[in-house]
Amino acid sequence: MKRNKGKKALLLSLILMMTIALMSACGNNNDGQKENAGVNNSAETTSEPPAKSNEVKELSLFIDASWYPVKEWKGTVAEKITEKTGIKLKVTVATDDKQLPLMIASGDLPDLVFTNANIDRMSDSKLSYPWNELIEKYAPDFKIDPTRIAIHTMDDGNFYTVRNSFATQEEVANNKYSVGSDGNPGIAVREDILKELGNPPIDTIDNFIKVLGMVKQKYPDMIPLIMDKDWIEQYFLQQFGVEGLLDGWYERDGKVDYAIRQPEMLEFFKFMNRLYREGYILAENFAYTNDQIDDQYATSGKAFAHSHTVSIADMDNIKVKNAGGSYTFQMLPSAISKSTKAVSSGLGFAGTFITKKNKDPEASIKFLEYLASDEGKKLTMFGVEGEHWTWNEEGYPNLKYDPSDADFVNSNGIKWWYLYNDGVMEGMLSYVPGAQKTKALMERKAFTVYKPELGLIQLQPDSDEKTIKTKIDEMIKNEKVKIYLAKSEEEAVANYETMVKNAEKIGLDRLVDWANQTYQKKKDLFNK
Amino acid sequence: MELDTRVTGIKGKTEQRTQFWKRFKKQKTLHLFVGLGMIFLLVFAYTPMFGILMAFKQYSISTGIKGIFTSEWVGLKHFKEFFNDYQFGTIVRNTLALSLLKILFAFPAPILLAILLSEVKNLKFKRFVQTISYLPHFISWVVVAGIAFAFLSTDIGMVNKALLGLGIIDKPLDVLTNPNYFWGLATGSAVWKEMGWWTIIFLAAVAGINPSLYEAAQIDGAGRLARIRHITFPGMKGTIVVVLILTIGSILGGGLVGSNFEQAFLFGNSINNPTSEIVQTYAFKVGLRDGRFSYAAAIDLIQSIISVILIFSSNYIAKRTSGSSLF
Repeated sequence: MKRNKGKKALLLSLILMMTIALMSACGNNNDGQKENAGVNNSAETTSEPPAKSNEVKELSLFIDASWYPVKEWKGTVAEKITEKTGIKLKVTVATDDKQLPLMIASGDLPDLVFTNANIDRMSDSKLSYPWNELIEKYAPDFKIDPTRIAIHTMDDGNFYTVRNSFATQEEVANNKYSVGSDGNPGIAVREDILKELGNPPIDTIDNFIKVLGMVKQKYPDMIPLIMDKDWIEQYFLQQFGVEGLLDGWYERDGKVDYAIRQPEMLEFFKFMNRLYREGYILAENFAYTNDQIDDQYATSGKAFAHSHTVSIADMDNIKVKNAGGSYTFQMLPSAISKSTKAVSSGLGFAGTFITKKNKDPEASIKFLEYLASDEGKKLTMFGVEGEHWTWNEEGYPNLKYDPSDADFVNSNGIKWWYLYNDGVMEGMLSYVPGAQKTKALMERKAFTVYKPELGLIQLQPDSDEKTIKTKIDEMIKNEKVKIYLAKSEEEAVANYETMVKNAEKIGLDRLVDWANQTYQKKKDLFNK
Repeated sequence: MELDTRVTGIKGKTEQRTQFWKRFKKQKTLHLFVGLGMIFLLVFAYTPMFGILMAFKQYSISTGIKGIFTSEWVGLKHFKEFFNDYQFGTIVRNTLALSLLKILFAFPAPILLAILLSEVKNLKFKRFVQTISYLPHFISWVVVAGIAFAFLSTDIGMVNKALLGLGIIDKPLDVLTNPNYFWGLATGSAVWKEMGWWTIIFLAAVAGINPSLYEAAQIDGAGRLARIRHITFPGMKGTIVVVLILTIGSILGGGLVGSNFEQAFLFGNSINNPTSEIVQTYAFKVGLRDGRFSYAAAIDLIQSIISVILIFSSNYIAKRTSGSSLF
């Protein structure tokens, strides 16, 4: 009897354990199922018959940017577009950067995909319709200028998208009110604190560091500089004259090389390391996975300087005011150094793809044709004419709202439906006489050099070079932090050298050779 | 004669068959349970295994599922690439270190707690301790990471604020970002989260020990520690060995307490990356973010092979030394 009891207990514990094991296994699979379910949902939307209410067609759109501020097809701008085109969109915004690759792999694509990170991958005849074919067949009046077509033409001779936010140097030069987009780096500082410190000049990098030091001394509880997780380096890279971001290319004397090997790069890294060693930035700042933390520091009065974009002073001021605060931010000048330089090698931001699963390619290309018309571009970028803006004869819109008021802009769907648009239009949205952003952007325009041919060094998906570049970029992401957080300048320099050596070990030289070949082949596109 | 045996042979076979069905009918409920388990394994564990093919091919995600079969063979290219990765040594070291630390600390912890609890005579207190120690099991790692941030952040963390306020430290502890703290953070939080849960099994084992043994020992003059050593512990041995073998089989995933991936993914950041990047997170990143499914499949395959070797060898050793084993 008693022996039996012992056996029973053992058996009981075994059963319990196995149930736990099974349950944990179930748990794991549930996650998998969830992911699948997400993909399936979007598939369902594709197979759904188009809604026939007032002949309005519904197309599904996937936006491959988890941060995207508009998540639904609503607001006055969206309604107006539907009214003009007879198309409304069923929008899905990505939950993370892995969702679109998964959708591609499982074959469950929606009608339209709007992406920046996967342009190379989506430009594939197996996945998307070439625009040139659709235009020829359904929309012969849809005219796109040759530069844009050339930029997007793939090796197979087709182009599958045209990116928004792009403008050639001439276009920008010809439109003085097109000052640039929000997506440019800027730093805002507390006006009141600066005043209390006696308005010391911030006209050089050294003076900027001096001011941070004064802040730290006088307000030891304050963080002298807080940085948005996506806008840590850009502003300072430009001050040091680095011609590209950490994962970009730079050109000198007709030769292309990877940005981390620019001579100026080391100075930039030394500077960042100094900011850390002198206690002006938090180490944690490099570990943020959330882009709200820095905003909270800035708008709750716990930080002196806030590194983000050119619109950050305006944005912070609105938030502080709404929360009942009394202090204000002002932008630092876009250039605080003699060597400040910005190289625009951008080919634009994101593009729309008409996927092979699209149930109505004709309606889709016509929809894009409307967005690409002057009327469509102005409607998406500025809002409804008369209600949101009137055209100023000088050549820019008189906006009836503050474009830095994110809540207003997003709820009305202004700007974000720019599935097709261009940099000139977008640049005009920033032209608000008197706004801090406008001033910062105009300063910036003065030291910007255009080298779009650098942007043409584009890698084919799944190619060996692409793999090398991805690996190098990933390595830089890990190693750069070791440089920033080094305990001494010598250690920072040593870590920098290790990073470059690692890159060479992964295959940097091979990548650079390939880049130079591509560059020589493609640079003539712009020199006609 | 010949004909006779043939007839009886046939007869025997049909008899066997009917007997088989008879037995099957009797056990049909049990078979239903086994069948469900087998279907589960077939669908979720065996069917996806054809994907292993990818590890030896140059697979591109734009070719869909068909591409797994049609893409070009590349042999061991992806395996070589992983072995030559500049981070290979670090990643493997982190995976092994984290796994070993968890076996070292997370495996004995629930056994100790179970023994301690079994010695507690106050039932109310015992139940109270048991409940609060297993509750963390039900909190997901995402939430734990959020809680950890609220407690341990250098700037707003409660722990740092308290320690600073009490004057115990003069600089906030950067537990979440310093690479030197990551292994401790991961092991500690895993023990905290899962210890109470696994205690249930070991408590069940203790409950199965015949109380008359304790009485007899007491009469013979055995003290508390002696009773634990000579009765409680040997009584739990069978359960301990089985759990240990299972733990070793999943050691690279974190063993008993699992969660190597969740911890490395959620607590990992670019600052503590030198100690927090493990094989699973690396495979996840290159696989899903970069879309290099072939490479990720190869990396995971290597890890699976190591796990299989570990479970077979630990089972063999257990059989030889203690007599109990899984199979």
